[in-house]
Amino acid sequence: MPLLEVRDLTMRFGGLVANDSVSLHVDADEIVGLIGPNGAGKTTLFSCISGTLRATNGQVLLEGQDVVGQTPEEICWRGIARTFQIVRTFREMTVLENVMVGALLRASGTSQARVDAEEVLELTGLAHKRHVLGAGLTIAERKRVELARALATRPKLLMLDEVMAGLNPRERQEAIDLVRTAHARGIAILMVEHVMEVIMPISDRVVVLTNGRKLLEGRPEAVSRNEEVIKAYLGERYRAVIAEPPAC
Amino acid sequence: MTTVDQPSDSTSMPAGPGLDPTALPPERSRGRAASASRLAVGAIAALVLLGLPLVLEAQRLVHPLHILIMICLYATLAQAWNILGGYAGQISLGNAVFFGVGAYTSTLLMTRIGLSPWLGILVGMFVAVLVSLAIGYPCFRLGGHYFAIATIAVGEIVQTLFINWREVGGASGIHLPLLPEAFVNFQFHSSKLPYYYIALAMAAIAFGCAFLVERSRLGYYFRAIKGDPLAARSLGVKITRYKLYAIAISAALTAMAGTLYAQYILVIDPESVLPLSLSVLICLVAVLGGIGSIWGPLLGALVLIPLSEGTRVYLAQSGGGGRAIDLMVYGALIVLVAVFQPGGLVAISRRFRGRG
Amino acid sequence: MPTEVLLQAVASGLLMGCVYALIAVGLSLIFGLMEIVNFAHGEFLMLAMFTTFWLALLFGIDPLLSVPICAALLFVLGVLVYKGIISRILSAPMLAQIFATFGLGVFLRSAAQFFWSADYRVVPNHVVEGRLNLGGLFLGWPQVVASIAALLAFGTLYLFVTRTEVGLAIQATSEDREAAALMGISSDRMFMLGWGIGSLCVGIAGALLANFLPIFPDVGFLFALLAYIAVALGGFGSIVGALVAGVIIGLVEAIGGLFWPSFKYVAVFVLYLMVVLVRPQGLFGRY
Repeated sequence: MPLLEVRDLTMRFGGLVANDSVSLHVDADEIVGLIGPNGAGKTTLFSCISGTLRATNGQVLLEGQDVVGQTPEEICWRGIARTFQIVRTFREMTVLENVMVGALLRASGTSQARVDAEEVLELTGLAHKRHVLGAGLTIAERKRVELARALATRPKLLMLDEVMAGLNPRERQEAIDLVRTAHARGIAILMVEHVMEVIMPISDRVVVLTNGRKLLEGRPEAVSRNEEVIKAYLGERYRAVIAEPPAC
Repeated sequence: MTTVDQPSDSTSMPAGPGLDPTALPPERSRGRAASASRLAVGAIAALVLLGLPLVLEAQRLVHPLHILIMICLYATLAQAWNILGGYAGQISLGNAVFFGVGAYTSTLLMTRIGLSPWLGILVGMFVAVLVSLAIGYPCFRLGGHYFAIATIAVGEIVQTLFINWREVGGASGIHLPLLPEAFVNFQFHSSKLPYYYIALAMAAIAFGCAFLVERSRLGYYFRAIKGDPLAARSLGVKITRYKLYAIAISAALTAMAGTLYAQYILVIDPESVLPLSLSVLICLVAVLGGIGSIWGPLLGALVLIPLSEGTRVYLAQSGGGGRAIDLMVYGALIVLVAVFQPGGLVAISRRFRGRG
Repeated sequence: MPTEVLLQAVASGLLMGCVYALIAVGLSLIFGLMEIVNFAHGEFLMLAMFTTFWLALLFGIDPLLSVPICAALLFVLGVLVYKGIISRILSAPMLAQIFATFGLGVFLRSAAQFFWSADYRVVPNHVVEGRLNLGGLFLGWPQVVASIAALLAFGTLYLFVTRTEVGLAIQATSEDREAAALMGISSDRMFMLGWGIGSLCVGIAGALLANFLPIFPDVGFLFALLAYIAVALGGFGSIVGALVAGVIIGLVEAIGGLFWPSFKYVAVFVLYLMVVLVRPQGLFGRY
């Protein structure tokens, strides 16, 4: 039985279909990449899985149990943690406190949570920032705090929404290492990335979404050679070029 | 504006905390000397709090004692508000409802069935908690301004209900019967001193609650909810439940102070214990002092209450006039604080300490 | 209950509703622009009413002639408040924003009480008086004039916002500050203008109300409360919503007052709670 199985998930906003009968699964020891052009419905799918949105149709099975209709907090308790594409760091709390909020989910009290959080801070390389307020962090650091916070809830599945976006190459490499570290601890990972180059090297399997539908899935090498994928992305790049303002 | 006092991790400070405005002051590095001096300050404060009133009493200075009682009362109310509004970020402009519920419950139990106000306090707190849950459960679905305005609406509804409720005295309220001076009756006629110590104890209870909240799971979750409700939920925080905890604690402490008010003033009516202006004053005290920090409410009460009581007496002696000068100063202070120091007086004092 | 009485209530509710709408739309405009609620809105109204009173008492200027004067003065007040206070706290936490305007309200109200005392005052000898007999339906002329003027002001505002270049710039800024800034619209100027116009609306309403209501320092409180409720009911930032909600509130108040005189505002508050609990973004809210 896969850790996470999404069956025919459909999400409609009024007339707009953001996800159309999407199915995918994540096994307990996998890193699965979810890619697709802008507006493909990746973040919506994330929100449906994590309970922020309630799917219109379909099932989200976590270890065989349907979690559609459960609140985000229940789903987190069951073992799915997520980060947000647009970071949601607690600005008036320190890095340590941010992570402690996550750790408190499974800790008996604050002292236990502090110990757990410190451990996660070490792991994620944030220990030296522990007393800095969320508002005083760079974007890269905030993304790292989000990841650390999610890790602190001791998830079975970690869902990362564009944690690489906006990072420079060095930060990006650090983030990739971090994902690998988490994976090495036995956490399955489902990650959304907009940029294909980032996700290919670390994914065991890649799922491609376009226009709310699953285009295909497979091993990274196979997917990156697939013509439809190339077309979808080329189209996207083409549009991106047009959308850019004239050079000044 | 938030600080952490974790004595355990004295080893790890960021390299240049003085340069980074978001890093916290290096309190921990001062180590044992700091905690010793803190202890000394605490001891002196305790001595003043307990001893000063005795001096006032001996000098027959009744009015200053009254001001001290009011400071304790408002510090309690503001701290109760702070737990809900400051820590959990739910701006209530209806806390007078809980105050009124406390005052009316203990008073009615005393006048109708002769129950000691001391037991009445407990019943009042319980009823206030129920009322707060009934208000909070639906209203916590609303965010930001909508919640604040909903609490105003609820407050106005409750006040109107009491004004039109003949059985509890309607608009003219209830005069508490004068009972023999006794602890069990919660009435003291020969001196205000007992009221002062009771008010002080209540303030201590409120501060103790805030202290415990701040260090417990509640405090972390409250601040997470204030910071970003959606992020909090995705980390497993059951936000509705924790908001309800916050409003329940706030309501219980506020109702407790309501009983003290009723027993001290001995008259309650909807215009004095349930008005919006009281709800507003409670939160002004907390905001002026600095919200989301434990000392803010005390600082706010220390500044605002003497100001308001002082100007009232001054104006009364000098023949009256508009009588609103205290509120004028309040208003101006609030604007200045909001514009120049959103962290409140606490943040200002912290800045001075940081430099010193 | 006789039909005439009910009709009478509906008619006066409609009249008051128009004035509520004008007060509310000022609030809504400012909120739509910058998501700040002006908690001193009621005090702005009070200042306009006192201005009308003093102009009438000292210079014998009729309240109707005070309308443009109040509008201009309040416009200036709004701009000054924006420049002096609001522009400094644009990125401050919501609480600081709430309390900045809140504190201003407390200050203005108590200043009025300090300088002019808490007494109730009535504008002496105004031109518009008496009642209009509309086939057995009696309506006070001042109220009729107030509601017509309020509607006119409302309509002008609507046309201004939807038809003129400046109005469209204001709308663009409320839709998306950054995008508007990229188009060369200075959000600072739009905010300032928003505060000016929002206050201007309440200035007009104040002068109109002074024609038939007693004037005292706390007079703005109830109107502001009703305006907050109208704005939340109609949906923060929605101009049409403010009109509909203002009229609804006027009707509920008038009809509620018919059946339960002491509970007429309770009816308004309950209506508000019911609406936002079912539809938290209000009737015409965007989110």
